[in-house]
Amino acid sequence: MTGAAANFAGWLAADGGRPDAAGPDWLTARRHDALARLGELEVPTSRQEGWRYTSLKALLEQGFVRGDAPLAALQPDALQRILIPGLDSHRILLVNGRYTPAGSAPGDLPKGVRVGGLRDLLAQDPDALRERLNRVAGTEQSLFAALNTASLDDGLVLLLDRAVCLERPIELIHLSVGQDAPRVAQPRHLILLEDGAQATLIERYLSLDDALYCTNAVLELSLGRDAVLKHERIQMESRNAFHLTTLYLAQDAGSRYQGVNIGLGATWSRTELLTRFRGEQAECDLQGLYLAGDRQLMDYHLDVEHGVPRCTSRENFKGILYGKGRAVFDGRVLVARDAQKTDAAMSNRNLMLSASAEVDTKPQLEIHADDVKCSHGTTVGQIEPERLFYLRSRGIPAPVARRMLCLGFAGEIIETLSSEALREQVSEQVGQRLESAPLS
Amino acid sequence: MTSALAVDDIVGSEYEHGFTTEIESDTFPPGLDEGVVRAISARKGEPEFMTEWRLKAYRHWLTMTEPEWAAVHYPKIDFQSISYFSAPKRPEDMPKSLDEIDPVLLETYQKLGIPLEEQKALAGIAVDAVFDSVSVATTFRATLAEAGVIFCSISEAVHDYPDLIKLHLGSVVPHTDNFYAGLNAAVFSDGTFVYVPKGVRCPMELSTYFRINARNTGQFERTLIVAEAGSYVSYLEGCTAPQRDENQLHAAVVELIAMDDAEIKYSTVQNWYPGDAQGKGGIYNFVTKRGDCRGARSKISWTQVETGSAITWKYPSCLLRGEGSVGEFYSVAVTKGRQQADTGTKMIHIGKNTRSTIVSKGISANEGQQTYRGLVRIGPRAEGARNHTQCDSLLIGDRCTANTFPYIEVKHPSANMEHEATTSKISDDQLFYCRSRGLTEEDAVSMIVNGFCKEVFNELPMEFAVEAQKLLSISLEGAVG
Repeated sequence: MTGAAANFAGWLAADGGRPDAAGPDWLTARRHDALARLGELEVPTSRQEGWRYTSLKALLEQGFVRGDAPLAALQPDALQRILIPGLDSHRILLVNGRYTPAGSAPGDLPKGVRVGGLRDLLAQDPDALRERLNRVAGTEQSLFAALNTASLDDGLVLLLDRAVCLERPIELIHLSVGQDAPRVAQPRHLILLEDGAQATLIERYLSLDDALYCTNAVLELSLGRDAVLKHERIQMESRNAFHLTTLYLAQDAGSRYQGVNIGLGATWSRTELLTRFRGEQAECDLQGLYLAGDRQLMDYHLDVEHGVPRCTSRENFKGILYGKGRAVFDGRVLVARDAQKTDAAMSNRNLMLSASAEVDTKPQLEIHADDVKCSHGTTVGQIEPERLFYLRSRGIPAPVARRMLCLGFAGEIIETLSSEALREQVSEQVGQRLESAPLS
Repeated sequence: MTSALAVDDIVGSEYEHGFTTEIESDTFPPGLDEGVVRAISARKGEPEFMTEWRLKAYRHWLTMTEPEWAAVHYPKIDFQSISYFSAPKRPEDMPKSLDEIDPVLLETYQKLGIPLEEQKALAGIAVDAVFDSVSVATTFRATLAEAGVIFCSISEAVHDYPDLIKLHLGSVVPHTDNFYAGLNAAVFSDGTFVYVPKGVRCPMELSTYFRINARNTGQFERTLIVAEAGSYVSYLEGCTAPQRDENQLHAAVVELIAMDDAEIKYSTVQNWYPGDAQGKGGIYNFVTKRGDCRGARSKISWTQVETGSAITWKYPSCLLRGEGSVGEFYSVAVTKGRQQADTGTKMIHIGKNTRSTIVSKGISANEGQQTYRGLVRIGPRAEGARNHTQCDSLLIGDRCTANTFPYIEVKHPSANMEHEATTSKISDDQLFYCRSRGLTEEDAVSMIVNGFCKEVFNELPMEFAVEAQKLLSISLEGAVG
């Protein structure tokens, strides 16, 4: 093995050999293509622009290996612990990256909707995926996407036919359970909405304990003409976990994507969101909230390419940092030569609560057309003493007042979540983290 | 609306200051090695320490590689095809007063619209005019000397004030800093030295006009300004260049040092030859400018209007070390034709309660490419640091490019950091409003663009503000279709 492949040999197969998971020939060929790409890629260093503020050292040191055997059984009460009361959804459960029918409850689905495990669908109807899988992601994949493709095996498939509207949200729970050795799970999620389809997808990454593991998820999303997807991602991995997401989104004319990214867990977390417009008048709205405390890194890379005219994009990310937390925000909006009438706005605001926290933010605009409206803004600041004083003068103790103000700051993003039950859960989690955080 | 033809007419107007003065130059053959570095030093009659300083820089430069990260494109520079020294005739026979100056030279300045006498009389500015690489005229020396201000060429300073040079030269931009700074340290031809002693407010605005005038000669100016505790100085730099076919490399270094309570204001109007419509023959302007706010409550302010050069690569920066020190950067950059500019600033907050302001206005027309690249770093001890950044881009025409690459690194919680950027074109509504009030399209555009840049122009000294507005009007009138 050459290039980066050598550094990640353990990710590709349990025995360090070639990836030979089950599947049709075309899939094996795509895995091998990805493996070839890994041979060309090198492990990124801080000299590379995208990794300037993020070190891979800690991740490499863990020596993660791929977990192959599905988990025998889940503790009976485990499911109850992770479900959100009051959230009425079509539920899909993945445990350590494997689709687990036992905890899933897809429920009644309207005609024209296919939801399930990728591995199952590959076994039943591989031709349905042949022209769809690994298409949005393309061939020029980054290191971690290529690693995922090389070991492509299981994940969520959500296919909506023309004009199908899902009333209830699809809930994807990605549960990680500690194992004998530090394991890496590399789920691949494929979400395709055909013309005019509408759906809500809630994606939750969870753990039952403080286990050390790594999740390297890749999502491929494709929205047909006028399709609407609401996509809410809640990352609450264990405090020792490593989390990577690479999300590829392609939007046809008139489609709308509303994404909410909440990052609360993991010790090291990196999220790359890559949006491409394929047709005019599409809209992409990305909201984000991250909390980073001691031993935590939250790293976000947003890349929106306006290749066609008249599309709209919004990015609004907010962060709260405490303890020795670190956050990186690297946003890029590219407006191609002929993408006139583009409307793009990017904002990144950070609240720093402690002396040893660090924020590195890099909101970039690349504009090659003249009739556009583009802006970006970023701030780094702390709680305003006047506000704190106001609350304290009304008899609220300082720590409570600080928490209230932080929750108010975070509230703007939390409110964009579509379900009341989810909003409550996220608020509670944010509140809990702030309570245990040293707030001075 | 003006037709596309009229727009092209005006945007494509020939470079106004494109003419060449025939003067015999004493120029080295192209090429660079230790011998050339020694020869430059010898020709300038420099003391031993300076020769060694240059050689050390040269040897280090050999180990460096050309930076490629900037968003600019140009054919690779052959550093061996450049001549590294060019002095006007009779270097040992320097003129003692204006009367002695070569009349052809004076005529050149007159063509440029900056006759020395007029400058002296009208503006009260001491002009240290650099014609090619050796200063040939320095005025108002006496008035300045009375105040104790040293204002002379770097070459003179090396002879007359070796202690100050030893102490300060290269202390802000060391030869190890970057490729072009290394090259400059090895071969710098001349430049300006300003020293303002403790508690002195410099009685006049200091100014140097540069003009590149010998074929194939890179100019490597070096400017050093030291403001001692409690002093104030305002320095103006402006340049134009005659039309050329071959690209000319300009790699200058500017170092500013401000001690306790000192203030340095550095203003630049840059209007070098940008190349023809195909982008052929313009100046490559690769400049390292850095100010060091060493003392408490010191202040360094950079103001620049960049309309010329084929390629501009410059990031006037401030190291905010002193407690309560202030850094400012105000910039207007215009790129048209095939001009490329990658410019911005760095504000490095090290001391407590340091403040910085960045206002950058970019105007891009035709196929102009423009990049704002800035860094704001708030260090772990920079308690109470504040930064406000605003960078706006105005796009004229659908073939131009405007990029914004800000880097913001914050390591202290009490920091207050704001960054805003917008990109837009001149809106039809604004134009319609102006035209409905009887303004011609050109006047309307000029008015809107000047309004867009006003925040920066307000920071320029009076004479420069006028020149800058004129430059902008020539460059862009009617460029909306």
